[in-house]
Amino acid sequence: MTMADPDADVREQIAELLPRLRRFGRALARTREDADDLVQIAIEKALVRTGQWTPGTRLDSWMFRIMQNAWIDEVRSRRRHGETFVPEEEAEHVGVSTTDAQIDALAVRKAVAQLSDEHRAVVALVLVEGLAYQEAAQVLDIPIGTLTSRLARAREKLQDMLEVRQ
Amino acid sequence: MTPTHDDDELRRRVSAAYDEVLHEPVPDRLKRLLEVPAPVVDLAAERARRRAAASKPRWTWAHWGGMAASLAIGVVAGALFMQRAGSDGVVVAGSSLTHALDAQLASDAPASVSVHLSFVDREGRYCRTFTASSTAGLACRDGAHWNIIATATAPASAPGSGAMRQAASSLPKPVLDAVDAKIAGNALDAAQERAARDRGWRR
Repeated sequence: MTMADPDADVREQIAELLPRLRRFGRALARTREDADDLVQIAIEKALVRTGQWTPGTRLDSWMFRIMQNAWIDEVRSRRRHGETFVPEEEAEHVGVSTTDAQIDALAVRKAVAQLSDEHRAVVALVLVEGLAYQEAAQVLDIPIGTLTSRLARAREKLQDMLEVRQ
Repeated sequence: MTPTHDDDELRRRVSAAYDEVLHEPVPDRLKRLLEVPAPVVDLAAERARRRAAASKPRWTWAHWGGMAASLAIGVVAGALFMQRAGSDGVVVAGSSLTHALDAQLASDAPASVSVHLSFVDREGRYCRTFTASSTAGLACRDGAHWNIIATATAPASAPGSGAMRQAASSLPKPVLDAVDAKIAGNALDAAQERAARDRGWRR
């Protein structure tokens, strides 16, 4: 006889989400290191409270919410300590074999990185992760009207930055 | 808000800009946090099987002692994701837990496994308490392994930062009872803990 680990199923499901959690983290935190640290913190937080996730509801939204809250904590903590955020290294992305698509991707990521934290969270959830407005509003714990107006402003800012750039 | 052509185009560009992350290899440190363990052998069932298989009773005091310790603890809780049964029926820590018990200090930042109290038991071995996921436990060093002495379900921790620390500071009663039954003298202080760690938990 073996004893099943009650959390094993949730761990497996989170493991399947890892690529998307890393992508969401990249949009939110801007750099690879911060993004992966954020994913790690969120997994650790999630594993001690798997009972708070309701099976049958979206695990991705639950994880995004934990990541978003952890990121807000991190941003506040760094601002308290006067630390600055390191911008993404362009050199990491631009090489001899860089394609037009990669150049565009870099321009878009730089534009997203310049948005406010509030706007970037909305962009990461709706435009990057493809969440519906209602789901994104729940993740951020804001009314849907607030979400749509933030999204509209974020879109305008991105359009402005990306048009100037081209 | 009706999406305009520009909006759709922007969505496509933003989405494409981050898609490459999906194709990057996931760092091991993230995958390790989510490793699903081999099923834990039910000790009571395993012992019953071996008792039945034994042609005659040949229990030594060591056997009885180990068995009594396990039974008193209510057998291994089963929620611990990093352990396996040794060939002699002793439950030892798996690789992730072993690594944490070997290397981590109580003062380290919360991780998937957190280590708290360290002490010397009455047999002269180092023992440490830990929490991993929803399980708390006590492990004692035995040669190259950490034997699992007790485990119990850890109390649910409050949300928010520092949740791991809170979980760490409130060990369940079965684990605390096992500590009380084992401990000789006082728990190690931070300097003694570090020194013992640096010596590889050998005495």
